[in-house]
Amino acid sequence: MNDSLPFSLGRVGVLAGNAFREAVRHHVFRFMTLFAVALILGCLGLGELNFGESEAKFIADFGQGALVLFGSILTIGTAVQWLGGDGEPRAVLTVLAKPLRRSEYVCGRFLGTWMVVLVFCALVTALLVGVLWTRTPAASVEAMHEAPLVGLGGVSLAGVAVAGALQAVKFGLLTAMVLLIASFAQTNLFALSVSALVLVICHLQYLARDSWQAGQGWIERLGGSLVGLVFPNFQLFGGGEWLEVGVGVSLVAAGRVAAYGLAYTAVFLVLAVWSFRRREI
Amino acid sequence: METTKTRIAPDPRPPAIEIRRLTKDYPLGFGRWRLRAVDDLSLTVAPGQIYGVLGPNGSGKSTTLKVLLGLITPSAGECYLNGIRSDDPAARRAVGFLPEVPDFQRFLSGRELLRFHARLCGVPRVGRETRIAELIDQVGLKGAADRHLSTYSKGMIQRLGLAQALVHDPAVLILDEPTAGVDPLGAEAISALILDLKARGKTVLLCSHLLTQIEEICDRVAILHRGRLLAEGSLVGLLGQGDRQSLVIEPLAAEELADLREWLASRGRKILGVDSLPVRLDRFFSRAVTQAENEAGVKGAAGSLRP
Repeated sequence: MNDSLPFSLGRVGVLAGNAFREAVRHHVFRFMTLFAVALILGCLGLGELNFGESEAKFIADFGQGALVLFGSILTIGTAVQWLGGDGEPRAVLTVLAKPLRRSEYVCGRFLGTWMVVLVFCALVTALLVGVLWTRTPAASVEAMHEAPLVGLGGVSLAGVAVAGALQAVKFGLLTAMVLLIASFAQTNLFALSVSALVLVICHLQYLARDSWQAGQGWIERLGGSLVGLVFPNFQLFGGGEWLEVGVGVSLVAAGRVAAYGLAYTAVFLVLAVWSFRRREI
Repeated sequence: METTKTRIAPDPRPPAIEIRRLTKDYPLGFGRWRLRAVDDLSLTVAPGQIYGVLGPNGSGKSTTLKVLLGLITPSAGECYLNGIRSDDPAARRAVGFLPEVPDFQRFLSGRELLRFHARLCGVPRVGRETRIAELIDQVGLKGAADRHLSTYSKGMIQRLGLAQALVHDPAVLILDEPTAGVDPLGAEAISALILDLKARGKTVLLCSHLLTQIEEICDRVAILHRGRLLAEGSLVGLLGQGDRQSLVIEPLAAEELADLREWLASRGRKILGVDSLPVRLDRFFSRAVTQAENEAGVKGAAGSLRP
């Protein structure tokens, strides 16, 4: 292709802003946020079902679960719509007929979708911290004045914030993967199904890595190594180990996980651009 | 006596649209079978023309437009927009496009959508909002500009599509069925708008099933069938001057008609047929609705679209 139009960050910004505006007004965002908020607030009444954990730890785990579940649905549901629907994606015809590069379109959609997920993660994490704060015994609050943001009822607030941030990085990576799938998918149903499958594979990737390392036959090792390399390990983004007070949040370790996620994101984004470049609309 | 020959200086500008030996095949399944949508098509549209492309469904009109806009890759041949290869995004700087039955993000308002497209095309901030307001007024969406597109009718979406194609004041407009889903009044207004664009020096490539519309506004036409060019040329050149004339006159009494026949016979001519001319339905409809709107005092309603 003969591209004499230079890549423009301005156009990427316009596309990202539009994608964000569109997604944030979409029912998927509203419903997922509502469900996550309802689940976190709902667990306040389930204190007796804490399975022996402290109430704060139970709320933190529940909140993390809501973040992971609804964040994944929101990411896939939003990113998969980037071509505008099944069959002929007519909603993008008028956009791609404008003077812009396909790479700008993909990057704009990626940033717009990721911004929506970042807003979701920030809202849910802030709510989780707020709920934990309200359920903290007075004694803990007094302790907090001496050492702010250390812990509430056995749960580290810093750990909750870092876990939320790592989930946001993971959803960015998931966005790039879904965009890659949607760049060649002919229908939304196909893109949705494959994206959901990829999400499951990425969460179970550690099993493939284990078989790669401990496998007996070469086929098992080769298959394991391929799955282990192609699919990122989503278990790394859990951040659950830093939720407990006393464990201590390792910013270096968190940074390493974030760098791992961002590197995979860049690779999948480049692949999505490459795949979409020749896509016939 | 010295004679001077008047020479028409050749237009130094490149053709607004040039298609050279374009072929487009679509693969069918996994085999080697291919569907040929466009077959060795060559066309040239000069700047300032209204060029009509006609053809039945599946004749390759939309595929040709998509290749022109770089949305699909040709199997062979090449296309140029204002002298720039159409697979270069820069070629689309001066092009506005309205697809057949356009669709837009339903959670935006009409004004937001136009603002998005204007920013994408690099319309300067100064004067952008004025331009958008003008276009909204021009396509008759003033009362609906701030409503979500999910509340728009098919015809309103079509008119908004036309506005987004015009938002950066392009030199070339590519319109695929611009009157699809639009009522007769709107269709008439769109025709007037296209003629106004021509008067302002714009080039329009128009695909339409409405033969009357094509005949009324186009300078040249091309007829496609199964991806091949069947005929191409100016309307006069294609339809010819003919060997008959028609005079439209007020109704004559029987004796007046007999006198006329006699008079013509004395000059070796004869009347071949006498028909009363009915009013065209679209003109009748347009007149009736306009009259009703005037009586009701409706001004600037959604149906009004003016150039």
